[in-house]
Amino acid sequence: MADFPQQVLLIEDNPGDADLVRLRLTEGKTPVDVSCVNRLSEGIASIENTPPAVVLLDLNLPDSHGSETFRRILEKAPGVPVVILSGQDDEVLAMKAIHQGVQDYLIKGDLTSRNLERSMRYAVERQALLRSLEMSRKQQIEFKNQFLSHVSHELRTPLTCIHQYASLLFDGLSGPISPEQRDHLQVILKSVNQLHAMIRDLLEATRAESGKLRIEPRCLALVDLVRQAIAMVRPMAVENRITLELEADPHIPLVYADPDRVLEVLINLIDNAVKFTPLEGSVNVKLSQQETDPEFIYVTVSDTGRGISAEALPLIFERLYQDPESVDGNRSGLGLGLYIARELVNLHGGRIWAASQPELGTTFTFNLPVYSLAKLLLPVITNEQRLRESIVLVRVDLKPLATPFRGNWKEVCRESLELLRRCVFIDKDLVLPAMATNGPEDTFYVVASTDMEHVDIMIARIVEQIGVLTRVKSTGTVRASARRVEFSATPETTLEQQVAQVAGAVTELVLNDLRTMNGFNPKENYGNAN
Amino acid sequence: MEMQTEKEKIDASSMNRAKILIVDDDPELRMALKLRLRANHYETVSASDGYSAIALAQKERPNLIILDLGLPAGNGFIVLKRLQESDTLSHIPVIVLTARDPQGNELRSLDSGATAFFQKPADNNELLQVIRASLRSASAWGTTLPS
Repeated sequence: MADFPQQVLLIEDNPGDADLVRLRLTEGKTPVDVSCVNRLSEGIASIENTPPAVVLLDLNLPDSHGSETFRRILEKAPGVPVVILSGQDDEVLAMKAIHQGVQDYLIKGDLTSRNLERSMRYAVERQALLRSLEMSRKQQIEFKNQFLSHVSHELRTPLTCIHQYASLLFDGLSGPISPEQRDHLQVILKSVNQLHAMIRDLLEATRAESGKLRIEPRCLALVDLVRQAIAMVRPMAVENRITLELEADPHIPLVYADPDRVLEVLINLIDNAVKFTPLEGSVNVKLSQQETDPEFIYVTVSDTGRGISAEALPLIFERLYQDPESVDGNRSGLGLGLYIARELVNLHGGRIWAASQPELGTTFTFNLPVYSLAKLLLPVITNEQRLRESIVLVRVDLKPLATPFRGNWKEVCRESLELLRRCVFIDKDLVLPAMATNGPEDTFYVVASTDMEHVDIMIARIVEQIGVLTRVKSTGTVRASARRVEFSATPETTLEQQVAQVAGAVTELVLNDLRTMNGFNPKENYGNAN
Repeated sequence: MEMQTEKEKIDASSMNRAKILIVDDDPELRMALKLRLRANHYETVSASDGYSAIALAQKERPNLIILDLGLPAGNGFIVLKRLQESDTLSHIPVIVLTARDPQGNELRSLDSGATAFFQKPADNNELLQVIRASLRSASAWGTTLPS
């Protein structure tokens, strides 16, 4: 049991009530040290300065009334036990207060030294209990995450050994092997890859749960990613004589998404669809834009499998969910794939769901936000509801000194982009997201709203900042150049239309630039930027 | 003309016989990597802990180091630091090959001077590609940098 509270903070503006409470407190068995303030703001300041053991709170104060009073104090000082002393016998208000985390609600008229003392003591005890529960919950999550990370590390070492020696055998480096031995080794290697994928999923799911999943969106043509995913799953479809088709409108706008993560989601859904479709069935992947929701692109993956029951449908995106009927020797993984897919789609601001008809098939749908340069450009190219006369387009190039290594250079570019974002004025200048799925990693564009003179200063800063990055210093160079782009508003068009026009022009400019300077060849649908 | 062709031949063969130091505390993994690299015509030496890794690097002057992070007697990061501090060893490209999570460890390795990061189990072809690229650019450095 904790000691009886020594420091009591009384927040009460009525001198008579304050005196009464003081009297009741001094009548009690345990000595207390009461400080009294009139206003909520003073009370909050006092708590932040020296947190008391317990707060006695009147609800109607000069600077706050009713439920607002406890809401504010709980928000500012969540760990301090609060007992409300109210003039009103209002059970609804009292329940609301308790639900939000207040420890007790006492009526001033009924106040005795005994019930006040007891209420305060219990409040302190309960608060301490809550605190330790919250702490052990956090410790448990932390422990679980550490455990999983440790386990996956420990599993990887023997797995690597199996992988290395099986591939030494498979590649004939330990002597010639027969065709049958080759087949058997292939099974081993395939299983190693499955195990590897499961370990990865385990870590990904842990990260998703603790909010540590990250995405790096850029603007990209979804159809490229869908083609890539289909190509990766196709061998399995061919093996099972399943038709795998893509249906996409060629004029679908670009989306704003992380290509690696979206590919992960696509492979997961298409792979699942093929896995759960019987021989000679079909899987269809469709990209579309819906008239009712033009801000999103919809991806559907439909199969002719045996479907998912109505009871199971709401559960399939939950962690560790396994279709009970599919456990028939067909290894299906840990049941984390759809959970991770949902977390990734949500991180992009999209949604994922499934519809199914038993014996006919299942359709998974997810959507991703359309990339709108116009929306991003709006604050940069307008001023007081009017289009600016010109902008400056800054191009920043990183160039590696030697053959870039995988991983390394990409990381340098990513960090440089971070730095670049810190060199510009937010809301005045815009660092354009990378323009394509497979576009260059090391060329960035900034749309600046200042004049050429100021851009010179900006460029000097950019080169200096990025040049300081040790890994750029040792592996590459950075160069920046700028050009002025003028535009005039077409009369009798809305500001929105004008911004869209400029966005189209800027996109065209950037793509042309990439084409001529990098030999990068974007496909037709990259022009569609609105 | 004749001379030049001969010189090219020597360069090509010495390029292939680059010496690689394998640092890993697991003897079986060390052996597997050794077999894989020798099959690709590399010469190998190996160390099982951080301390002997540095000693061996000084003695053998390898053209490249493949480094595990979890090691007895000085972990991989300490080895990277020692290599960077040494005038004679800092130019050697180091490829980190570890079972540890890339999140956190990849950036830290690259910042500590590694040229590439692979998580175990790594794809052998990718690893060999990066070894080749690292050896190429390391020799390019040798000619452009004043010693």
